[in-house]
Amino acid sequence: MDTFALLLQGLAVAAQPINLLYALIGVTLGTAVGVLPGIGPATTVALLLPVTYKLDPAGSLIMFAGIYYGGMYGGSTTSILLNTPGESASIVTALEGNKMAKAGRGGPALATAAIGSFVAGLIATIALAFLAPWVVKLALAFGPREYFALMVLAFVTVSAAFGDSALRGLTSLFVGLTLGIVGIDLQTGQARLNFGVPDLLDGIEITTLAVAMFAIGETLYVAAQGKRAPETVEPVRGSLWMSARDWARSWKPWLRGTVIGFPIGAMPAGGAEIGTFFSYATEKKLSKHPEEFGKGAIEGVAGPEAANNASAAGTLVPLLTLGLPTSATAAIMLAGFQQYGLQPGPLLFTSNPQLVWGLIASLLIANFMLLVLNLPLIGLWVRLLTIPKPWLYAGILLFATLGTIGANPSLVELGMLLVFGLMGFGMRVFGFPIAPVVVGLILGPMAEQQLRRALAISQGDVMVLVASPISATLLAIAAVALILPLVLRAMGRGRILSEVATDND
Amino acid sequence: MAPGAMRTRERRRPDWAALLVAVGLLGLAALVAWDASRLGAGGAYARVGPQTIPYAIAICLGSLSIWTVFAAYRHDFPKRDQQDPGPVLWIVGGLLAQIALIKFTGFSIATGVLFAMTARGMGRVSLPLALLSGILISAAVWFVFGRLLQLTLPAGPIEHLLVQGAELIVAPFKAAPGGAV
Amino acid sequence: MKQFLAAAMLAGAIALPMTALAADYTIMAPAGPGGGWDQTARAMQDAMTTTGISGNVQVINVPGAGGTIGLAQFAQEANGDPTRLLVGGYVMVGAILTNNAPVKLDAVTPIARLTGEYEVIVVPAASELLSLADLTTKLKADPGAVSWAGGSAGGTDHITAGLFAKTVGVDPKLVNYIAFSGGGEALAAVLGNQVTVGISGYGEFQAQVEAGALRVLGVSAPERISVIDAPTFTEAGVELVVQNWRGVWAGPGLSAEQTAAITADVEKVVNSESWKQTLATKGWNNTWLPGDAFKAQLAKEIDATSAILKDIGLVQ
Repeated sequence: MDTFALLLQGLAVAAQPINLLYALIGVTLGTAVGVLPGIGPATTVALLLPVTYKLDPAGSLIMFAGIYYGGMYGGSTTSILLNTPGESASIVTALEGNKMAKAGRGGPALATAAIGSFVAGLIATIALAFLAPWVVKLALAFGPREYFALMVLAFVTVSAAFGDSALRGLTSLFVGLTLGIVGIDLQTGQARLNFGVPDLLDGIEITTLAVAMFAIGETLYVAAQGKRAPETVEPVRGSLWMSARDWARSWKPWLRGTVIGFPIGAMPAGGAEIGTFFSYATEKKLSKHPEEFGKGAIEGVAGPEAANNASAAGTLVPLLTLGLPTSATAAIMLAGFQQYGLQPGPLLFTSNPQLVWGLIASLLIANFMLLVLNLPLIGLWVRLLTIPKPWLYAGILLFATLGTIGANPSLVELGMLLVFGLMGFGMRVFGFPIAPVVVGLILGPMAEQQLRRALAISQGDVMVLVASPISATLLAIAAVALILPLVLRAMGRGRILSEVATDND
Repeated sequence: MAPGAMRTRERRRPDWAALLVAVGLLGLAALVAWDASRLGAGGAYARVGPQTIPYAIAICLGSLSIWTVFAAYRHDFPKRDQQDPGPVLWIVGGLLAQIALIKFTGFSIATGVLFAMTARGMGRVSLPLALLSGILISAAVWFVFGRLLQLTLPAGPIEHLLVQGAELIVAPFKAAPGGAV
Repeated sequence: MKQFLAAAMLAGAIALPMTALAADYTIMAPAGPGGGWDQTARAMQDAMTTTGISGNVQVINVPGAGGTIGLAQFAQEANGDPTRLLVGGYVMVGAILTNNAPVKLDAVTPIARLTGEYEVIVVPAASELLSLADLTTKLKADPGAVSWAGGSAGGTDHITAGLFAKTVGVDPKLVNYIAFSGGGEALAAVLGNQVTVGISGYGEFQAQVEAGALRVLGVSAPERISVIDAPTFTEAGVELVVQNWRGVWAGPGLSAEQTAAITADVEKVVNSESWKQTLATKGWNNTWLPGDAFKAQLAKEIDATSAILKDIGLVQ
């Protein structure tokens, strides 16, 4: 049977009413748990997997797909409404999304996230079905040096996209890089910057830092404004739904986000958050309204949200074609697949086509179900913002700490939440951007480990870093991206300086 | 001439708070460098060991510290508004109270206290009312996430009460396993 | 109707955990949900409830630092409490040594070793290395030219690589070991021809080996394993056996009767249908070793591991 017929057959099974019900239960449960800050899709799937064991294989596969996509999606709602990223892949969403929500445009922000996730999920799942063997070849061509080059490119593009002061942006980034050193060094097993605290040996959890800096830092900052801060936010200004203009500004970012997110998700050491960084930087560069970035640009929500969902489907590429679990979530999914007698690996597509296509069909259904569930809820979610300030922020802190305790019931983790919260507050007061800290914590350790792996394999030969065509190209793009703005700025500044000079005369 | 003179005087006086940031960065740089210095070598083949990157970061932090000093004298930092310490102390106190209490009183009471103190810090609310609603909400949250979804959340007296109550309600249904729900 | 029943059962499954309070057993997995220790703990939970050993079993996760954070907490909280169990494994032995953890395995009561997995050395199908002898020759000629991909430094994979070098007469310090954070990443590096060999549990490589993309050079098992078409290290002339095992401990300060009762319960778990089915679906080997035999084996392994970690240079 050919690919297409198998997919249709899978869809027919998945579209039975009882299976649709399972899909609905799956996305609801997944969203409910995934919405907790600190509890990402990995933990969500691990916790809810046993629930699916009691069903027949088709039903449990469908519910499982629902939990997975639901867990992925849950994080963006809190990012947008409460500035509390549910997991590392929705940190970027908070940057523009929350600004939109505060300006009464939470409805369009949630809608573009939901529809963008759906579009990206749809395209990426179809790409998974038809392109997997080719994409995986590309992914395997990436070794340590190529990843290092990719990280360098990520640093350059991302730091260009944050903040208006080079000094403060770089300071934030280096604080993040410093935090990234904390913990056991993977290559030598030595503890760095842990000061004898065993809880720090695993490093600083990205979500803990993000929740502390965004949610708690913001709460403290709003509190410190006292009566100057407005008592309530106007939840809806203009339309609750996306206007024609919002659609026009969203559809391209959705597609670009998908194209960026899918291959990066497929790379064994890529990670969903990297795709969101690239997408954000791209949208800022291409936008006709770059001045809106940092103040609530819809492109900055549409692109990254599409990218993180496309990554989620991309992760399945190496998992299904190679049996390669490339993320914590994928490792847990592997355990789940084994439960259904599905042994992912190179032989899967030929030996077990029914189950694979069943899974892909389930993902499509789950994706659709998520849209059906979330679009009508947007009106309800936005009402959350009408809760009077004391109760709203008390609730935010309740959920922020709940997620942290649930992920790791340790007092040190709660202590970090407080310390980084205070740091986030202080940084806001001084006008330091928050996002680069999180970016440094994510990218720093990856870049360091990949660099050291590449050099160890080459036994210390630095030239190896530019010896492969892929890494050389990536590094060249990074160099251009770094130098070009500097040159342009220098030329621009020259003009401005001369204008100032004439003014003074 | 008066406005000009004022501008120069302002220029001469540094932004003290920003200087404090510079000192902090320098301290962080020293800390990172000190920590790296006590690490063993390792990574013989790579020639980039566990110390290399920390040293590089320490040097950059040091440079940023110097840059910040210049910025402090040039008043490059944005204007800071007056910060109101009272509400901040309420919320920080709430977080500290949660850390102190959670192992002994369980999730609901500790988080209820955090909830109440945050609400109090954010506006004029009645503390007993906030505490009561905080504990009730936290208990409900504990039940859903800790009990039904099996997250590891610390249990205390309220949680035990809750579970016993639920058991009483569920008991009649347990008699017939797999039966009608 | 059948569908309705299924839905009803599902609702029941969700409602089930709330039905009792006093846990007869609380099993700690000193890792996050989803990993091997967590899966072991949850499989035990399942077996205990289905066989009726205990009506109510809770699993709690305390992740961090190779299990040492969970271990420290367990040693303190479970003192004299016969209802608490800790799942752990060989990885903990190495982690305690490299992290210089204050609470060691002698602070808890060993109950039994449950399951185990053997390490394999693999190369890409296109590799010039055809046998362990080829690898040994290359390693002796230029240790740096052989890059080994495996899990984190000081873990089972690294220890096995070090022991292998030592056994064939190469200084373990000279092993060019490249640590990867997840099994998948190391596997990708081997498949992409980025490194010379890969070393990890067979389960990590199984699918690729079966598909012919990877070749197994040797297995760290004491005798040949039917499903793996490769010699053991010993058969190939390298006297080395390594087992990456998982086991279960109880708290300190228990009486001999209490320990015996727990051991009996765990033995019932291991003999249950539910447990056997879990082993079959997950591809785990039953390497049951109870009580004093486990304790003696553990002591031996701690000494050997400590020695090799010093040789590699990870422990002073």
